[in-house]
Amino acid sequence: MEKKLEKLEKEIVELQEKVQETENKWKRALADYQNLEKRTNEQKIEFIELANHKVILDFLDVLDCLEDSAKHIKNEGLNLSVKKFKDALLGNGVSEIQTDDVDFDHNLMEAVDTQKGTENKVLKVNKKGYILNNKVLRPAQVVVGRKE
Amino acid sequence: MSKILGIDLGTTNSCMAVMEGGKPKVVPNAEGMNTTPSIVVPDKNIVGVSAKRQQVVNPKNTVFSVKRLMGRRFSDPSIKEALKHVPYTIKEGKNGMAVVEVEGVEYTPQEISAKILQKLKTDAESFLNTSIKDAVITVPAYFDDAQRSATKEAGQIAGLNVLRIINEPTAASLAYGLDKKTNEQIAVYDLGGGTFDVSILEIGEGVFEVKSTNGDTFLGGDDFDLKVIDFIIEEFKKDQGVDLKNDKQAMQRLKDAAEKAKIELSSTQDTEINIPFVTADQSGPKHLVIKLSRAKLEQIVGNLVQKTIEPCKKAVSDAKMSFSDIDEVVLVGGMTRMPKVVEIVKEVFGKEPHKGVNPDEVVAVGAAIQGGVLSGEVKDILLLDVTPLTLGIETLGGIATPLIKRNTTIPTNAAQVFSTAADNQTSVEVHIVQGEREMATDNKSLGRFILDGIPPAPRGVPQVEVSFDIDANGMVNVSAKDKATDKTQSIIIQGGTGLSKEEVERMVTEAEKHAQEDKQKKDIVEARNQAENLCYTADKTLKDAGNKVSEDIKKPVEEKVKGLRSVLPTATLEELKNKTEELSLDLQKIGQEMYKQQDKGGSETPKSPDDKKGSENPEEPVEGEVVDDKG
Repeated sequence: MEKKLEKLEKEIVELQEKVQETENKWKRALADYQNLEKRTNEQKIEFIELANHKVILDFLDVLDCLEDSAKHIKNEGLNLSVKKFKDALLGNGVSEIQTDDVDFDHNLMEAVDTQKGTENKVLKVNKKGYILNNKVLRPAQVVVGRKE
Repeated sequence: MSKILGIDLGTTNSCMAVMEGGKPKVVPNAEGMNTTPSIVVPDKNIVGVSAKRQQVVNPKNTVFSVKRLMGRRFSDPSIKEALKHVPYTIKEGKNGMAVVEVEGVEYTPQEISAKILQKLKTDAESFLNTSIKDAVITVPAYFDDAQRSATKEAGQIAGLNVLRIINEPTAASLAYGLDKKTNEQIAVYDLGGGTFDVSILEIGEGVFEVKSTNGDTFLGGDDFDLKVIDFIIEEFKKDQGVDLKNDKQAMQRLKDAAEKAKIELSSTQDTEINIPFVTADQSGPKHLVIKLSRAKLEQIVGNLVQKTIEPCKKAVSDAKMSFSDIDEVVLVGGMTRMPKVVEIVKEVFGKEPHKGVNPDEVVAVGAAIQGGVLSGEVKDILLLDVTPLTLGIETLGGIATPLIKRNTTIPTNAAQVFSTAADNQTSVEVHIVQGEREMATDNKSLGRFILDGIPPAPRGVPQVEVSFDIDANGMVNVSAKDKATDKTQSIIIQGGTGLSKEEVERMVTEAEKHAQEDKQKKDIVEARNQAENLCYTADKTLKDAGNKVSEDIKKPVEEKVKGLRSVLPTATLEELKNKTEELSLDLQKIGQEMYKQQDKGGSETPKSPDDKKGSENPEEPVEGEVVDDKG
């Protein structure tokens, strides 16, 4: 009788442990799932933004070429076309990174060269940089001043 | 319990992953990228892509490739080699170890690496919204004890409890599940941004043993880019007589274009490098347009790919093996995306290598899996099964209507409401089928049962809910319930998912093979069901209309119903659709007529028949998808 009781008690302890373990695992799986759900929603939004990023990045390459062309070929129609293209991008939340008379900022710019000049000042922009919804779409490629 | 971060602390780039719900997931950094440049400005605490961007302005204080210095004495020959490649200061520190000096402050390679790890940790914490304490960090297989303990120390400085340091090739093998194999020889070919490593491993009883390693510490993707740039410069010089090497701005544009072309040619055969206004001379602006084919690219970088063969041979012979002894080959590193690299590896080892979509992430993924093993998550994880094939029931005309799609994680359940096919039908047969084919007869029959005692009613009125429930063991419980009487019938199918892998594969391939004809069959049955349904509706409408509608409106409908019914079993899809459409138009005239009369005399209108198929609401009976009563 006592032995049987002992055996049962042992069994109860084992089962309790198992219940606890299972409960823990279940909670963990549930938590993982809920977190995933939350993040999936965030990522959905991010995904759309990211998909836009890629498309707009490709378009920026084209804009660079058009702006280059406008610099070389003085033509009113071309200038208007470039402006129209830029306005369209602006309308979609894209903005140009300011590089006039500013210090080099590694968060927004990529230094591609240095030249003699005011230290750490942006001297020249090789490729314009753009921001989309507060995220750097493309850093501005700049030449930075250094003291000789 | 906090997550264990798996970290691939690379020479050029680092990457991290965690286990989530039993699966590894790469964690992006704060900038949204899956890999982080292993570049640090220690005095300003700038790490990653930002550090890379200011490298040109601040070359002396920007530390990169610090992994090459880990745990090395300053007198080590490899340090002499590294000195040639870096603009920052490396000097002899405490105990003769190599250290970095920035702005007069000495930093050990551990401290620099710690800054990278610190950024990864912080970024992972904000992404996962949880604190990270533990990590598994990978190192090259050839790292000695000093280099390993230096790596561990770096983790500790970053505030991480380094549970384990594992070899990169081992991590990569883990990522491909090769730990399940026994007594196999594995070759891991790792061609990354700046280094090439090949390792031969032996797996026995779940333990990996490194038999040999070889490689080239200064060969990687960057060298490939340089070759492409050189090619473009040469071509342009030949074509336009201008040397772009002296034009820094043009070189920058070239560098971007070359890398882009290289990446594009991994998935396409041809690309065009197009840089308008690349430079200018007295004659005016010059444009660069060069076509580059994959074959040409392979010719340009052929030497570099060839350079990886010798180390492979050495590694195999050092392991006292021959190529035929190698059972598995694993590809790691971004450069292995290049088809030519895969081809060479296949040629050398004589077998198809394991390659994933993101070869630059596999090491981090493997580290995360190791973390999962350590925490017990991987071993103890409830291995949730999936249904290997679609489960469904046979509906009117022999169509297999799916209830649970294949690859659904079980346990799961699904229910759909069906109805009867004939007036006063009092029983329905539920025939459970499994498979991917559109017609029930082409699928595997799992069982059938009859639910009777349905009160007599016009077709489409009774609501029979059929529900499937698969428990964690793959046992399928199918029940049918008449919603009016609550009468229920059910069947339990044992081992409904217990098909052999080959059997499942065969059924899936067959479905793919027959997809076209099956769809045609299904379309015709559906069109027939729809036609039949409309005939029924027309009969009913005619009856309801009685003498309220003139004969010359009723007549064409009657004739068309008769015509349609007579061709029902034999007509082609086209015929069925046309005839159904015609009948539908004529039928509408009756409706219009009756509305007109209602406007005049206010007589009661029959309920307008809805001849459209299928209401998506599961509470509504799905018309046309009706459980057949024939046995």
